[in-house]
Amino acid sequence: MVEIALETRNITKIFPETVANKDISFKLKKGEIHALLGENGAGKTTLMNILYGIYMPTSGEIFINDQKVIIRSPLDAIKLGIGMIHQHFMLVETLSVLENIILGLKEYGFVINKKTVKEKLKEIESLYSLQTDPNVKVWQTTVGEQQRIEIIKVLFRGANILILDEPTAVLTPQETQSLFKILKKMKDDGKSIIFITHKLEEVMQIADIITVLRRGKVVKTLPKYKTTKSELAQLMVGEAQDCNYLRKKRETNEIILSINKLIVYSDKGTKSLKGIDLDVKRGEILGIAGISGNGQKELVQTIAGLKKVAEGKIIFNGLDITNKHPRFISRLGINYIPADRLAMGVAPNLSGIDNAIMRRYYRFPLSKNGVMNYIKALAYTKMMAKAYKIKLDNPFAPIKLLSGGNMQKLILAREILENPKLLIASYPTRGLDIASTQFFRQKLIEIANKGKAVILLSEDLDEILSLSDRIAVMYEGSIVGILKAEKADKNTIGLMMTGAST
Amino acid sequence: MLYFEKRQSVPQRFKVVIPIISLLIGLIIGAIAVAIVGINPLDVYGGILSNAFGSWYAFSETLVAATPLILITAGLIVVFKMNIWNIGAYGQYIMGAIFSSYFALFASNGLSKPIMLSVMVTASMVGGAIWALIPTLLKIFWEVNEVITTLLLNYIALYILKFLMYGPWKNPTSYGFPLSKTFPQNAILPILFNGTRLTIGIIFALIAVLIIWFLIKKSKFGYEIRVIGDNPLAARYAGISVNRDIIIGMAISGALAGLAGMTEVSGIVHYLQVKIGADYGYTAIIVAWIAYLDPLVTILASTLFGGLASGGYSLQITMRVSYGIVGLIESITLFSLVGAQIFLNYKLRWKNGSS
Ligand SMILES: Nc1ncnc2c1ncn2[C@@H]1O[C@H](COP(=O)(O)OP(=O)(O)OP(=O)(O)O)[C@@H](O)[C@H]1O
Ligand SMILES: [Mg+2]
Repeated sequence: MVEIALETRNITKIFPETVANKDISFKLKKGEIHALLGENGAGKTTLMNILYGIYMPTSGEIFINDQKVIIRSPLDAIKLGIGMIHQHFMLVETLSVLENIILGLKEYGFVINKKTVKEKLKEIESLYSLQTDPNVKVWQTTVGEQQRIEIIKVLFRGANILILDEPTAVLTPQETQSLFKILKKMKDDGKSIIFITHKLEEVMQIADIITVLRRGKVVKTLPKYKTTKSELAQLMVGEAQDCNYLRKKRETNEIILSINKLIVYSDKGTKSLKGIDLDVKRGEILGIAGISGNGQKELVQTIAGLKKVAEGKIIFNGLDITNKHPRFISRLGINYIPADRLAMGVAPNLSGIDNAIMRRYYRFPLSKNGVMNYIKALAYTKMMAKAYKIKLDNPFAPIKLLSGGNMQKLILAREILENPKLLIASYPTRGLDIASTQFFRQKLIEIANKGKAVILLSEDLDEILSLSDRIAVMYEGSIVGILKAEKADKNTIGLMMTGAST
Repeated sequence: MLYFEKRQSVPQRFKVVIPIISLLIGLIIGAIAVAIVGINPLDVYGGILSNAFGSWYAFSETLVAATPLILITAGLIVVFKMNIWNIGAYGQYIMGAIFSSYFALFASNGLSKPIMLSVMVTASMVGGAIWALIPTLLKIFWEVNEVITTLLLNYIALYILKFLMYGPWKNPTSYGFPLSKTFPQNAILPILFNGTRLTIGIIFALIAVLIIWFLIKKSKFGYEIRVIGDNPLAARYAGISVNRDIIIGMAISGALAGLAGMTEVSGIVHYLQVKIGADYGYTAIIVAWIAYLDPLVTILASTLFGGLASGGYSLQITMRVSYGIVGLIESITLFSLVGAQIFLNYKLRWKNGSS
């Protein structure tokens, strides 16, 4: 008989406005990868936060190795051998990798013996073929590396049960594959893994068993070999989905945005854009592909007015917008969906209302002569939540209490409702469930169909390929090539992204 | 084992209950301290209470002390909400006093009282605002930390005041005391109620609170400072001119501290001197926190501290206890009030060693 590593019995979690988990009973076996699926707001993160001691359940019990436990804090969870990698990483950017790994560990004392730590680190790294340089600072590392650091950190603390909340949302397909290798190795070592994702291919590839949540309840638990992607999709939303985007042929040669010899420096003083030339046409979706850290983020932030141009020009609709104020640029009709929703997209402790009106609070009818009309603001927020199916139970509550996907939807809705002439969307569907992903992709296409333009940044090449008309590939701060979508394929783009061919 | 657990949300009633309990705890600890010195704590507290709230006159004195606190706190709230740490109300208060005194001492000839007072009010606000804008510009253009610069400017303001009081502005007939000449009659704020020292300064303070309340709760600027305070990157992203708002906020904050200085010299002291109660500038920082950065609560919190100050001061005269005792009680209560704020965000729990 296989041993049960972790079990929950009738876990219920009630928040003031929301029943996030209802009677969840769930078993995790030793040496098993258990995928947790569900729409945005289904209660996945809440359940994991309960297992990791961030929340106490309203009722219900947790068993570890058949022992009833009460987990009051992450410290308790760590002692019980549970490790969690959150939807948003929790590393200290200014510390080194090594310092991050041992942060908060008491047994290494006040004066840290770097030698013993490094030895143990080596052991773990060779066991799972994880590579890191313990001495670099975290801000110098890529997202993929940061995730490896998080994993090492968890393993270092001796975790046997590993929780990963949407770990692949920020990874490139290659990084995802190397993560899966690590997870398989852990599984072979008898560790148990709970894995949350919205990507069904990943589930089919890595999971042994799958539990689907809907509106806080378990719909079904079933082994992978007995199910299919479409059955899972059906279980999640309760109905079948089709995936055909309505595209129009949109031939136009009118240039809406023109970038000339753009040079931008990073905060650290190095050149992050090395003379970019790029035109965006009316009616097109221009995809920008590249491995993160190659200047894509800097490029779009510069267009939005959030980074200083050192040299070069940006012309929008015939108007020079180089180094103009972000408000001036957004009022011209350029809207920007930032990649990192918590860092830039929202003010996390402010209400849903305050966040929903960020783009228009200064205009009539939301404000007049410097005075806000919060009644109109509330109405606007409710309209937004309804039209874009955002699960916003209490618009007055801090936005950080929304589920990751619902927060993302609010940001998307906020920018799209401005009716932009040029929408810059970085990783727009990051963290969205299947239905919402399709809904918002359709929205992007509609914008282009209306003769407006979209710049689409994504690490998901499938997304870029299926939506874009043209694809620009960036490498080390330059555009190494622009391909027509019908002539592009994943391999060529993938090679260009690594600078292998031009 | 006792440990802290983070609260998911703060129940509203806690915001009332926790300060009251911590105030009581602070008073009890204060009582023990007083008892150790050999004074009956009941006498001391009874004395403070009756000297602060026991009669109309006592209460009016409490309001006299509360006036500058309310004004300064109202201004501090604006910048604190943006996470800008103006520690310089002390200096801004002094500059407000100096600027308004200049007109009282050297330019009062033939002006009617309303005009003279308007000039002084304006001058004090300009003086305080300038003193607040120096560190603000240093912060914006050279990224110099405002905590340090505002603090340093407090000392500079004090030395300017001392220089004037021992030098050019000194009253030749003050027998060497560092004071200016007494202000002419048209430079003195009118008394509100006969037989008290309460001036229309308290009206200024209440108007200021109302304006700040409106600014924070209802205005576009209030929305912007909320966003800036929570996430400056999101504010920039939303197209908010963060630097402009910081400049406006600091100017307001400095202007109100300056006005507080004016109400003190023109309303209470009637001349400029080295000791003009500038410590209000530091107390106000704590009052702002205890009032949860809420302008209306500020009135209550300032009155409480005004009462402690004026009650304690009278106690020293009537009961001959040293003001140090009152200072001790004041600091202990402040300490427990500020310290208790941790219970707003965390709850204390008990757990058995194993789990
Ligand atoms: N601390 C909280 N207070 C109030 N409501 C909360 C809190 N945390 C979560 N919720 C609500 O509980 C519900 C479930 O949220 P949860 O984050 O568990 O969803 P999820 O399944 O992880 O979704 P996603 O795929 O979008 O990340 C949501 O409606 C959310 O708004
Ligand atoms: Mg989640």
